[in-house]
Amino acid sequence: MSNNAVENFEPKILVFACNWCTYAGADLAGTSRLQYPPNVRVLRVPCSCRVNPQFVLRAFQRGIDGVLVAGCHPGDCHYTTGNYYTRRRFLLITRMMDYMGIDSRRFHTRWISGAEGPKFQQVVTEMINEVKAIGPNDKFRDDAKIEVKAVETNE
Amino acid sequence: MSNIQNEMRAVAKELLESGKATVVLGWEKGTMPYDSTPVMIRSAADVDKLIWDEYCLQNLSTYLIDFINTEDKVAIFAKGCDTRAYNRLVHDRRINPKNSIVIGVPCSGMKNPKVAAKTPEGAEVPMANACKECRYPNPVACDQKIGSDVTPWCTAKDFSDVEAIEAMDADAKAAFWKEQYSKCIRCYACRNICPACNCTNCIFDQSASGWCSKDVNASENQFYGVTRAFHVAGRCIECGQCEAVCPSDIPIMLMNKKFIKDIDTLFGNYEAGLVTEGTTPLNSYQVADPEEFM
Amino acid sequence: MERVGVFICHCGSNIGAVVDCARVAEAVRNYPGVAYSTDYKYMCSEPGQEMIQNAIKEHNLNRVVVASCSPRMHEKTFRACVEKVGMNPYMFEMANIREHCSWVHAGKNEEATEKAIDLVKMAVSKVCKNEVLQKGHAPVTKRALVVGGGIAGIQCALDIANNGYQVDILERTPSIGGKMSQIDKTFPTIDCSACILTPKMVEASSHPNIKLITFAELEKVEGYVGNFDVTIRSKARSVDMSKCTGCGTCMTKCPGKADDEFNMKLRKRTAIYTPFPQAIPNKPVIDRESCLKFKSRKEGKDVCGICAKMCPAGAIDYEQEDELFVEKYGAIVMATGYEQFDHSVYGEYGYGKYPDVISGLHFERLVNASGPTQGHIVRPSDHKEPKTVVMVKCVGSRDPEHGKSYCSRTCCMYTAKQATMIRDHCPDTKVYVFYMDVRTPGKLYDEFYNRTREEYGVDYIRGRVSKIYQEGEQLIVKGEDTLLGQQVEIAADLVILANAMIPNPDSEKMAQTVGIGYDKDGWFTESHPKLGPVETHTAGVFLAGACQGPKDIPDSVAQAGAAAVKVCALLSKDQLETEPTVSVVDTKLCSGCGLCVPVCPYKAITLETIQERKGGKTVERQVANVNSSLCQGCGACTVTCRSGSANLKHFTNAQILAEVDALCQTMQ
Repeated sequence: MSNNAVENFEPKILVFACNWCTYAGADLAGTSRLQYPPNVRVLRVPCSCRVNPQFVLRAFQRGIDGVLVAGCHPGDCHYTTGNYYTRRRFLLITRMMDYMGIDSRRFHTRWISGAEGPKFQQVVTEMINEVKAIGPNDKFRDDAKIEVKAVETNE
Repeated sequence: MSNIQNEMRAVAKELLESGKATVVLGWEKGTMPYDSTPVMIRSAADVDKLIWDEYCLQNLSTYLIDFINTEDKVAIFAKGCDTRAYNRLVHDRRINPKNSIVIGVPCSGMKNPKVAAKTPEGAEVPMANACKECRYPNPVACDQKIGSDVTPWCTAKDFSDVEAIEAMDADAKAAFWKEQYSKCIRCYACRNICPACNCTNCIFDQSASGWCSKDVNASENQFYGVTRAFHVAGRCIECGQCEAVCPSDIPIMLMNKKFIKDIDTLFGNYEAGLVTEGTTPLNSYQVADPEEFM
Repeated sequence: MERVGVFICHCGSNIGAVVDCARVAEAVRNYPGVAYSTDYKYMCSEPGQEMIQNAIKEHNLNRVVVASCSPRMHEKTFRACVEKVGMNPYMFEMANIREHCSWVHAGKNEEATEKAIDLVKMAVSKVCKNEVLQKGHAPVTKRALVVGGGIAGIQCALDIANNGYQVDILERTPSIGGKMSQIDKTFPTIDCSACILTPKMVEASSHPNIKLITFAELEKVEGYVGNFDVTIRSKARSVDMSKCTGCGTCMTKCPGKADDEFNMKLRKRTAIYTPFPQAIPNKPVIDRESCLKFKSRKEGKDVCGICAKMCPAGAIDYEQEDELFVEKYGAIVMATGYEQFDHSVYGEYGYGKYPDVISGLHFERLVNASGPTQGHIVRPSDHKEPKTVVMVKCVGSRDPEHGKSYCSRTCCMYTAKQATMIRDHCPDTKVYVFYMDVRTPGKLYDEFYNRTREEYGVDYIRGRVSKIYQEGEQLIVKGEDTLLGQQVEIAADLVILANAMIPNPDSEKMAQTVGIGYDKDGWFTESHPKLGPVETHTAGVFLAGACQGPKDIPDSVAQAGAAAVKVCALLSKDQLETEPTVSVVDTKLCSGCGLCVPVCPYKAITLETIQERKGGKTVERQVANVNSSLCQGCGACTVTCRSGSANLKHFTNAQILAEVDALCQTMQ
């Protein structure tokens, strides 16, 4: 796929953002009107340590093109130690993803503080551009489940 | 071998007759020459069923889980890896060390009955994969020991097979694992035999929880494979039973060893199953752990 | 049956100019669970909120999603809004389509609208799995514990006590007073340290609301905000406090000798001792390491016993042992102070090798009228008055390679203070100060520093000292004057090192005991560097003074007051409201492996024994249990838990998976 990126491909990237730092950093990017491509979707968690690697695997199964797990810098965790566990878990999972053949550019963990609006902008922009270049994810996908159940009106 | 077998029978007899144990778990000979299956002995009259040969691969520690709430006093025979499994289970509070007696047995490496069944008659059956890399052939902890210690044939962990996968490009890796996990029939034999996979309720038995699906396809199977490897990361005692029992011959230890290798490199060498308390690599941390996420 | 109401806010043109709000409302109208969907100019306005409330009633909604600004902005507003019409506030979710969408994707209206639809779908999918949650209540023990009896601890305790609350001061040494009691004068006023400290010590000891627990250690902290159970180890004093009158007779004849820590080992003290004459409580302890009786007992003998013979009150008790006791507190203030950096890492400064190379705290004892030299500034080696003194700043501070990366904040000022004191006491003595920078950001601080140079004629040389070595009776100080760009060599009689402040050597262990954070250097971490300087991440535990980072006396006192206010605010409540977004364990699924226990930063998880029916009989087994008052809801345990039995309310596995699935699905 890497040599054969789909033209006009618009990837979808999921960002797990901790409530106290990265979510606030993304808010700051907003209040500062720092522009970045609209391919990211932020999912708010209390702490990066709430992010179960199985959530990340699930997203790739369901066809996401990239996942970013982001939290407070080590030492700044709102819960004191949460991100130290995040760091251990995702140092391992990052390597396991690579081992499974998922392009390492599709999965990142980053520390982005509430003051780092510009860093949020930069990290997601770079990631979007990288994933755009390598094209849609076809690894780990469970195509059978990417279909959608359209629903009749509920009323 | 036969000396150990005689000792086993003698020890079992003594334990049962004296009442120190009400049950002895060992191995007995099955129907095929390569079947050495677990046996539960309650009477001293039955101790001659006990055998010790190169097919006593199966770890008996996990059976102790079933005895946690019984009045039984259970004696088990345990090879080096089995004692690490025993420690793992005590650490996870899944077995009661107070009602068990571990009789350590030095082991010179076992053979995999699954491989033996496929080996043409007359040909030499090789040592089981995990046994080839074994660093703990002697019991790491036990209440009593029979036989005399053997010299370990491996001193360092061998990650050459993991490194071979790491050296592949992304597409080759993905293709390799997709092929492997396409074979998975989700029989969960790997989980059921694993001393570290000892939850009373595995998430893969909770299909209503939304965690997993019962679908058997490469993606779901890989989700299962990675998740299981992550669940035993920092806890796997490298017995290789998961791989040994896999009916589809998926190289499961390649997943487990990947985590072991990375844990050793990132957080310092760690040997699972040597102690029964304290933290493991994934429920602890160091402030000075490697930093790659700035 | 979920009946979700979706409300898309234009926020004037803030969202509306980029995101097609009507299209978003339309796009999710048929999404699973949605019963009502609309858009409006300003959802947070009064008409907007009324619109939500009316829709809840009219359409019988049981869940609400508002897509507008950041939940950090208006989550509270809308939770209150839905609560007013009887909906549980936790049945509400927000989709952030302003900060995370319209404001960052200006001009990309099509993509921004698509993104807004995704974000709303995620919120709807989550809210469908939301559960009714209720805030909890916990009682408050109206008593505080201050750990550390230095100036910060004393001030904090006084402030709490004067507000009418009971407070205990826990001090590990035999007397309260801390580092300030060792200091001779304080900057920038050069008033006597003891003269301003001892009245506060006396006030604390005689205050009806304050109890002093000296010569005692913090052993264990259990419980949670409002309800801490603190185990304290009262160390064996070998003196019965209830009998001792503090007459001091015992100390007069004690043959045991030890280095006097209070006087920086510049002289000896007896084995039975009070650290200093104004100690509070002014009752001695026996230092068993240097007591002849206790030393002889180790060799199977039993000699001396002079103090017991001397004591008219019969208070000496050689058989005393450490005692553990548990006290209940509603709040804890950590005021454990600092220690001096160990200079021996700087071999080139000759500390420990040359007796006339001393630290700032040594100097304080040398210049103190009740110190080992009765206040005469003399060299420790030969007791001669120094004619040339060299002072070296930043010893251990601002030196990440050998010492600490941080600035110790106090050294510039105490060096200036000590320089002026030398010039006052010995007008003929020349004083040189080697410095990297001079940092004097405090009230009247820079003025003081300028006087040091201009009026007192202290010679400041900008540069590091490279070597100090003995030559005859003098110490040769070699360094560089970076302003002149030349090497300097000064023959000094006395060298004073301005040592860095470091945390107590056991600060990390103490932080773990209490359950608070600490930084790479071991200083306790505040909950927010700007907005929560005296709070910690553990509710009910506060910080005062230098245990949080280097601080001078005015800052320590100010922070102590601030911590006291926070404590009083907490103790003034009869009950505490607790957030329901905490972890919970499904005991049916839990295997009781206990891996989650050490992961919890709040020590909220314990293993408890439950009984259950299995195979026709009742069996006992252990499962994890989360104390919902202690849990702060980080979720670390949920990922450690393999079976998924630990789950975080309001951020459950099912909720997060639903959001992930919603994002990945494409609506047909």
